[in-house]
Amino acid sequence: MWVIYTLNGLYFAALLFLTSLGLNIILGVMGILNLAHGSLYAIGAFMAAWTIIQIVAKAPPFVLYLSLLSGLVLAGIVGFLMEKSLIRAMYKRTLEYQLLLTFGALLLLEDVIKMIWGGQAYYASAPFELMGNVDILGHVYPTYFLFVMLITLLAGLFVWFFMGRTKLGIMLRAISLDREMATGLGLDIGRLSTFAFVLGSGLAGLAGALVVPTTPALLGIGMEPLILAFIVVVVGGLGSLKGALVGALLVGFTRSFGIAIIPEIELPLLFMIAGIILVVKPQGLFGR
Amino acid sequence: MGATAVSVGAMGDKAFGQAKKPIPTTPIKIAAVSFLTGEAAAPFGIPGYNTFAMCADAINKEGGILGRKIELLSKDENGGVDAQVKLARKLALEDKVDVILGYISSASCQAILPLADEMGELIIAYDCGSSELMEEKTSPYKVPKFKLGFRSKAHLGIDNIGLALVIKKYFPKIKSIAGINPDYAWGRESWQVFEVAMKKLMPQVQVVKTLWPPLGNTDFTAHVSALMGAKPDIVHSSLWGGDAVTYTKQAMGMGFFKNIKMAYSRGEPYPQEVGKDFPEEQIICCAGTHYFLYTPKDKASADLQKWFVAEYHKRYGKYPTYPCYHAYQAIYAYKYAVEKAAKTAGGWPTVDEISNALVGITFPTPSGPLTIREDHNAIEDVLVGFTKLTPKYPFPILDPKRLEVYPASQVNPPVGIKTVDWINSWK
Repeated sequence: MWVIYTLNGLYFAALLFLTSLGLNIILGVMGILNLAHGSLYAIGAFMAAWTIIQIVAKAPPFVLYLSLLSGLVLAGIVGFLMEKSLIRAMYKRTLEYQLLLTFGALLLLEDVIKMIWGGQAYYASAPFELMGNVDILGHVYPTYFLFVMLITLLAGLFVWFFMGRTKLGIMLRAISLDREMATGLGLDIGRLSTFAFVLGSGLAGLAGALVVPTTPALLGIGMEPLILAFIVVVVGGLGSLKGALVGALLVGFTRSFGIAIIPEIELPLLFMIAGIILVVKPQGLFGR
Repeated sequence: MGATAVSVGAMGDKAFGQAKKPIPTTPIKIAAVSFLTGEAAAPFGIPGYNTFAMCADAINKEGGILGRKIELLSKDENGGVDAQVKLARKLALEDKVDVILGYISSASCQAILPLADEMGELIIAYDCGSSELMEEKTSPYKVPKFKLGFRSKAHLGIDNIGLALVIKKYFPKIKSIAGINPDYAWGRESWQVFEVAMKKLMPQVQVVKTLWPPLGNTDFTAHVSALMGAKPDIVHSSLWGGDAVTYTKQAMGMGFFKNIKMAYSRGEPYPQEVGKDFPEEQIICCAGTHYFLYTPKDKASADLQKWFVAEYHKRYGKYPTYPCYHAYQAIYAYKYAVEKAAKTAGGWPTVDEISNALVGITFPTPSGPLTIREDHNAIEDVLVGFTKLTPKYPFPILDPKRLEVYPASQVNPPVGIKTVDWINSWK
């Protein structure tokens, strides 16, 4: 069973990592704590579920998997509109304003989702079922979970490469290090910020889209991931890619093995980890 | 609608020619509250809402209740307990509804039934299952707990006792069980009743794992493998809605059902929800005898069942699930109580008169006769079965050869005795 517990831990960590990645980029580059991140995740989930339901009968499997990207695209578009209209005015304000505004955006988006998709559950499990199972050391394991891990790995590598090796990424990091200096050097802060926000939103949407074949899209689906992403950010450290990875793995494994060994502490477990980190190392494991 | 239902309450307003209290000509305002949005909407709220509408139409077509037509106010149960308390107050005090039929969540019921007496409003809980809703802390306790608060269905005791009885009958040699139940009142109480009943019926069986995922959990992989690692023979679960579907699908993907059997305390809607891939040979309880392929023994109920299943399928394209039957019970309990009370009241009865009439009332329903006792709680028979694929339906049905029905007297505690205390007193 240990191999399966490990895989479960990895799968949960993958989802956490992907969700917290976008939160972390937006926080790191723009200094914005985006409470509406969970709503962008939900938009990705609903969009992907809706698309799958529309095309499931007629489309070949690989189109179904491609259609998961619809979640990324729509969340990216919503992120773009949000940044242009609401977030833009917040860069020079204090944290309280950001929290109020992004919390308002959360409530607003939740209602928009309700308006568009109604209060119904959207079941779109075709991609999960079509992939079937694989045999791993005598244990049956759904292939789709491995697929999620692979996509997360690719997304993580992309962000790592992008931030570390491309000119655009280096400019974004410059902003995150010193906004004023970056402005002084002539960087187009406005456009770069929009870009970072769209990237972060798209990643949230992708995470939501990847989850939806395994669980129905419901109103409020983004709440739990938002809280978990915050736990990961707290554990790993604000704005640190390495931190997000380590934080996600730590939370994922603790949950998987915790449920197997001491199930009674499932609910408080993750908060306990975050609490301990906050007391021992308030800036997080890899925070600056 | 079958002729039988009419005969039960067959008394037009002409019978009250010499009425002391006149019967108003305005419609009866009935508030029907169930989840119209959120996780519980699709599997429970909407079927309940559909059935309220269908029954109100049927009653209105026959001339209403004592000649008064029903005006249904459908409200959403989503938004949390505080919002529901506000809504109930608004319905009672501002909209002045005649009765509130509602609530799927035990949390809603626990917050709202205590308001009935305070507001002077008749409230009939139609679907929530908590056993502690109508029970006090110790046995024997005084009944009723609420003067104007009722529940027109049996509580979760019947589901979990029914499961334990079936397991004892069909799997007398099992060694171990486990549980996966949502971490709040509903899940905790369901497991408690099941565990106590199992200890009494099969003392040799060990509990090897109890898991408590939060409500609305989306990743059950850790739970599925923790259960597989513990190697129980049977796993008990009161997971519901999206949770039950998500859990089942993920467990299917992980090969859970090869060696382990599930016993779902309210599993009746899920084979229809999951479809043909839902595993066979799983133990499913129907929250009563609410099953579209079940024929009650008495003719009146059997005729109603025929009409109910056909009419629901015609209107909504699905077979009725247990929340539909619960909605039927609530609206007809009110109808029959008003008609019963009117006989002695000589006119439209007061809230207190209707409340008195509800006590001890027995009437046919599509799943068999229903009785509301002096503790203001209904008792019902319970049906447990095993899933089986047949060529006729696109999802597994309950194997008609192995439908186990336990009579109400065998699965409901006596009035004034707590369920757990009653089970513990079994000889």
